[in-house]
Amino acid sequence: MPRAVKGVLVECDPSIKALIINLDSKNHNVVLADLDDEHLVIEERMVEHVKRELDSQLAENTFKPAELDDIQRK
Amino acid sequence: MSIPRFRTSINDYLEGLPEPVLIRLYYSPATCLAIFRLLPAMAQLFIMTMLFNDKPLEATDLNGWVQDGSTPKQYEALEKLRGMHLIKESQGTISLQKTFRAGLRNALTGGDHNNSFGIPCNTEDKHKVDIKFLDEHANNQWELILHFMVGTDTGKVPNNGVLSLLRHSGLMEGSAPSNMLITNAGFQFLLQDVNAQIWTLLLQYLNMSEDLQMDAVEVLHFLFMLGSLELGQDYSLVALSPTQKIMLDDLRDYGIVYQRKSSSRRFYPTRLATTLTSDTGALLTASASMDSAISQKERETGFVILETNFKVYAYTDSPLQIAVLNLFVHLKSRFVNMVAGQISRESVRKALSNGITADQIITYLTVHAHPQMRKSIPLLPPTVVDQIRLWQLEMERMKIVEGYLYSDFSSKNEYDVIAGYAHDLGVMAWEKPNKRMFFVTKEGNQQIVDFVRRKVHGGA
Amino acid sequence: MSSAATYSRPVRQAAKRSRELIMDDDDEARLSQDEYSDEYNSSESAATGDEDEEYTGRGSLPLVRLRVKPSPPQKPTAALNTSSFDPSGVMKGDGISRVFGRADFSYLMLKPDHASRPLWINPLDGRIILESYSPLAEQAQDFLVTIAEPVSRPSHIHEYKLTPYSLYAAVSVGLETNDIISVLNRLSKVAVPQNIIDFINSCTVSYGKVKLVLKHNRYFVESPHADTLQMLLKDSEIGPLRIEGDDYNGTSTTIVEGLVREKAPSMGELTIPGTSKGNNSAAIAESGNTGGDPHQQSVEDLFTSVVGLDREDDDDMDAVHSFEIASESVETVKKRCQEIDYPVLEEYDFRNDARNPNLDIDLKPSTQIRPYQEKSLSKMFGNGRARSGIIVLPCGAGKTLVGITAACTIKKSVIVLCTSSVSVMQWRQQFLQWCTIQPENIAVFTSENKEKFRNESGLVVSTYSMVANTRNRSHESQKMMDFLTSREWGFVILDEVHVVPAAMFRRVVTTIAAHAKLGLTATLVREDDKIDDLNFLIGPKLYEANWMDLANKGHIANVQCAEVWCPMTTEFYNEYLHETPRKRRLLYIMNPKKFQACQFLINYHEKRGDKIIVFSDNVYALQAYAQKLKKFFIYGGTPQGERMNILQNFQLNPEVNTIFLSKVGDTSIDLPEATCLIQISSHYGSRRQEAQRLGRILRAKRRNDEGFNAFFYSLVSKDTQEMYYSTKRQAFLVDQGYAFKVITHLQGMENLPDLAYATVAERRELLQSVLLQNEEAAGIENGDDADNFVGRDGGYVKSVKRAKRTMGSLSSLAGGDDMAYVEYNKSKNKEKTRNPLIKKLYYSKKK
Repeated sequence: MPRAVKGVLVECDPSIKALIINLDSKNHNVVLADLDDEHLVIEERMVEHVKRELDSQLAENTFKPAELDDIQRK
Repeated sequence: MSIPRFRTSINDYLEGLPEPVLIRLYYSPATCLAIFRLLPAMAQLFIMTMLFNDKPLEATDLNGWVQDGSTPKQYEALEKLRGMHLIKESQGTISLQKTFRAGLRNALTGGDHNNSFGIPCNTEDKHKVDIKFLDEHANNQWELILHFMVGTDTGKVPNNGVLSLLRHSGLMEGSAPSNMLITNAGFQFLLQDVNAQIWTLLLQYLNMSEDLQMDAVEVLHFLFMLGSLELGQDYSLVALSPTQKIMLDDLRDYGIVYQRKSSSRRFYPTRLATTLTSDTGALLTASASMDSAISQKERETGFVILETNFKVYAYTDSPLQIAVLNLFVHLKSRFVNMVAGQISRESVRKALSNGITADQIITYLTVHAHPQMRKSIPLLPPTVVDQIRLWQLEMERMKIVEGYLYSDFSSKNEYDVIAGYAHDLGVMAWEKPNKRMFFVTKEGNQQIVDFVRRKVHGGA
Repeated sequence: MSSAATYSRPVRQAAKRSRELIMDDDDEARLSQDEYSDEYNSSESAATGDEDEEYTGRGSLPLVRLRVKPSPPQKPTAALNTSSFDPSGVMKGDGISRVFGRADFSYLMLKPDHASRPLWINPLDGRIILESYSPLAEQAQDFLVTIAEPVSRPSHIHEYKLTPYSLYAAVSVGLETNDIISVLNRLSKVAVPQNIIDFINSCTVSYGKVKLVLKHNRYFVESPHADTLQMLLKDSEIGPLRIEGDDYNGTSTTIVEGLVREKAPSMGELTIPGTSKGNNSAAIAESGNTGGDPHQQSVEDLFTSVVGLDREDDDDMDAVHSFEIASESVETVKKRCQEIDYPVLEEYDFRNDARNPNLDIDLKPSTQIRPYQEKSLSKMFGNGRARSGIIVLPCGAGKTLVGITAACTIKKSVIVLCTSSVSVMQWRQQFLQWCTIQPENIAVFTSENKEKFRNESGLVVSTYSMVANTRNRSHESQKMMDFLTSREWGFVILDEVHVVPAAMFRRVVTTIAAHAKLGLTATLVREDDKIDDLNFLIGPKLYEANWMDLANKGHIANVQCAEVWCPMTTEFYNEYLHETPRKRRLLYIMNPKKFQACQFLINYHEKRGDKIIVFSDNVYALQAYAQKLKKFFIYGGTPQGERMNILQNFQLNPEVNTIFLSKVGDTSIDLPEATCLIQISSHYGSRRQEAQRLGRILRAKRRNDEGFNAFFYSLVSKDTQEMYYSTKRQAFLVDQGYAFKVITHLQGMENLPDLAYATVAERRELLQSVLLQNEEAAGIENGDDADNFVGRDGGYVKSVKRAKRTMGSLSSLAGGDDMAYVEYNKSKNKEKTRNPLIKKLYYSKKK
């Protein structure tokens, strides 16, 4: 008899996957199953948390032209 | 996100109506004239040929009326006429539908006794308004709606009728005025010209009126009548049906008509009304209006400069155009005739999360490009276009599917059978046969569970 | 929405902390360094990892400052007053107004003929928005670049910004407050806002009003405004220093209330060599109505009718007043003027300098200078004297020739200071190439050469460090220094001023007594506070060229810029996420996908016939890449002879088409063979470094060939901090109109034969060796060995070069079809060999 686990399948590129795994490494409360390079299953209630975290981490790697503007406005 | 499907033109709408409804429509000469105007030129030619000819035409005679090589157009014209039940065909002959012929004849000869062209008031209006006033009224009402859609804080909110139409048509989402947001379709809507926008809303209005048990024929009669009215003239409410009087309230909110008070016995059509059917059908579809926007006319009115450094300079003083830009540009400063801003990751992401697509932004910038931009090929800086697309891709880097992960199958056979069933149902989201694991969508799960139970029971 | 924002704050702070960590580390690393270091190592930039961090407030962490601040320069204190500025007009107050807040200037009424006027002025920040397609744009640009800082100059709309410095510069080239306001007003679609007028007034009221002029070997304090001089004479310190001398030439001077009144200096008979006489329409404000080129006439007319520069008050303008001071009082007067906020502008009236002997130097008849070079020089010599200041031209646009022409105009002893001995030899060679100076009148002073010229006047070329370094000076050096300091120099040329730390600069400027100073640079990145130092140590910025304009006119090469996104391999990314910030750097530089992209691009461009320079700030990566790809590399530790050998091979040997350079190659090496740059690691967010590196290919020899494009690739590891820095680095060039195409996929890379790190095992091995490196390996190269780049023979050989290139375009770069890298053009042009003589003629003809 097979086992079924409720969750959310995430399809993403390897970097995003690594970021999610990294998020999970703190409390191990995100990832339910690591399927392959581009797929994981995560907890449904953590989806929004994961999205927010990814957004903010990716934003960290993005330069905002406004930052320069502020300097120039000095 | 679902994109509501518009019936893209009034023609499509009419062709979808059953024959008896159409025939009822043709009792109004004004409607006959309006419908005639909406037809392609070739179809108009055929109608004129048959209009004052009492004998049916031999189908082959029609060939004589068209030049060689116009056969596809002839075919298309006949299809249109058939679709609207405007012609009767029997044994190789063609004749006009009787009601329509009478109606159109009346319209053209002025023999209308149905008041379908409206009844001008014969008494002087104590509060007479001029055309300038009407134009302002129409503009204000219409822009109020558009401003509301783009989220400009004007301090005013359109009436409930407008709000429910916006929601019903899928142009906006949200339950209360304070949380209503423009949708992808709504943005597409903003890209159209005013005439196309009005028809889009009126078609939605027609759809909604059916749900409200309003008589579509009366609604259409009224709309077509409006198209035939004269700007600046006041008209009496006397000949309007109760349904049409209800409509008047709504049309007032859109700025299509002006009525001083809802108890007033007269109304004025605005320019939005009188131009409804004056243009050829070409302007009535969104894509066509896009085409025309891209063509010559827009070339003179393009106002947006987009630079390689992502800066945007838009020559406009229109609050609405500025509001549309504000959907995806980080606006910084404003002068009387120009606003300056910059496209940034944040501004584009804000637009994307509102359901606007990268392609729509790019199309908007292309359509409204300033004449200076048109000197370069490609029109828009490719690096900026690429970047806007990349920002969209960035938002799509994580795709999620809710559902269930199946594992621990006892045998390869068991896996194959159940996985096969999931495939048959089309609910398989991911699978790895060698690990005997798969993931099915939430929607399909119950059926899989049932299937497994049956299998196990059957097997046991 | 709001929950997302609050949620992400801790993350952002964490990342900020990690960035600060980088800063701390670097700071430590710098402490042991020699004071002579270029900008990257100067405390702020290195400590914050970034030239502008100081301004963002992030740099408020305790930094150990290595940089010696010059004694407080007279920083312009004027600021744009926006608090009191009153939107007196009726606010439109429509719904959309809220979006702009205070930046809704729709109350500023348009002038009736606004359509023919090209600009708007933002009263909040002094920004000027200019329609560059206006018929008046060219004149407006000439004017704006004189009074404001160029902020962005892409295709259609340019932005400038009024700053205290820019206005100071405007005044110093002879513009008066009223000129600035009235021309601005006439060019503007809206009336110049009152607070802008106040700002201009406050910035220009005291600057440039007082000049110190040396003529006939006597010092005069000069001003067009008699009342200013009267005010100075009433000053308790300055007043007594006036001396009453004999009238020195007796004609056309009058004495009024103790002041000498005479005709204002003018360009008069002075001709800048290499220019076509009498066609000096460059400085509009000075020449007013110009005749000139007939087809220019209509535009000039239009300009005059809109701008209407009438000079009815010429009488007043034409006179200057002065009083004389003794030469030993000069320092006191300068200091006092500075204290009372009337900084003294120094002008060198070289035509009336009889004390310093003339130098026999002139441009060769075949040498002609380009219009923008002429324009920049006209700012320097606009009134017939030499003004001190800085000229900003992109690399490859002929800064050297500008310096040489200035020297040929002044015709007094000259000293040229540059950043490396390679440059020293290049300057010497250029002097010999372009002008008539005799080799025996040129002396070179480097660690290898300590020559003096024997005549009474001559030219010395040296490096900053030779002159500024006071420690461990050999006897021979000391003798040379005595020679330099004992003389009075007519003119000093300061090359690459942006890379010299202020302390060193100060020492140089005070050690060498020179009447006129000209700073040359390619990039004065605006918010860099070094601009303070430069402004007061050298003088204001006299001219800044427009990059795109020069590229469009063929003066510098067209460059296709691309940012190549290299995904991190999973193994590398996992380590990246867990490493310290410093080790992260090493991981994203050594990302195997980046390596593959580099290999692919080298292969692709070598096949096209390009000569390629690969830049890496990180020496570990430099060596790892170069060794794996079997290419030559040069870094700080490469011995002289080997460097020379590699560079010569790169120039001459058809087998050596790619070299790897550390940041020693950022400036001061001239390799016109190079047509393609690949950047694999760089200095954080330094916009200046990006511009300098781009500059390495702007002088590509083949730039005037039809359809020629040079290529500049920046390889960036995706989803790492490198992305952040990369965008930031590009900001300056993007504002100059360069567009960086993002390439997300190099088509065909996977199929490249011998592709490195194609297997998991290889990648693991690479990862292991990277992880074994200590954190030092992640840093950038310490120190700058740019000095003495070339060996003692001074033989930076410029021999017959065989330019070998292939024509053809990369459709993926040129067009916007897709983001993949598709075309693979194998066709090659025939090799071209150009006779050096023909080359020279060709160059002369290009004018």
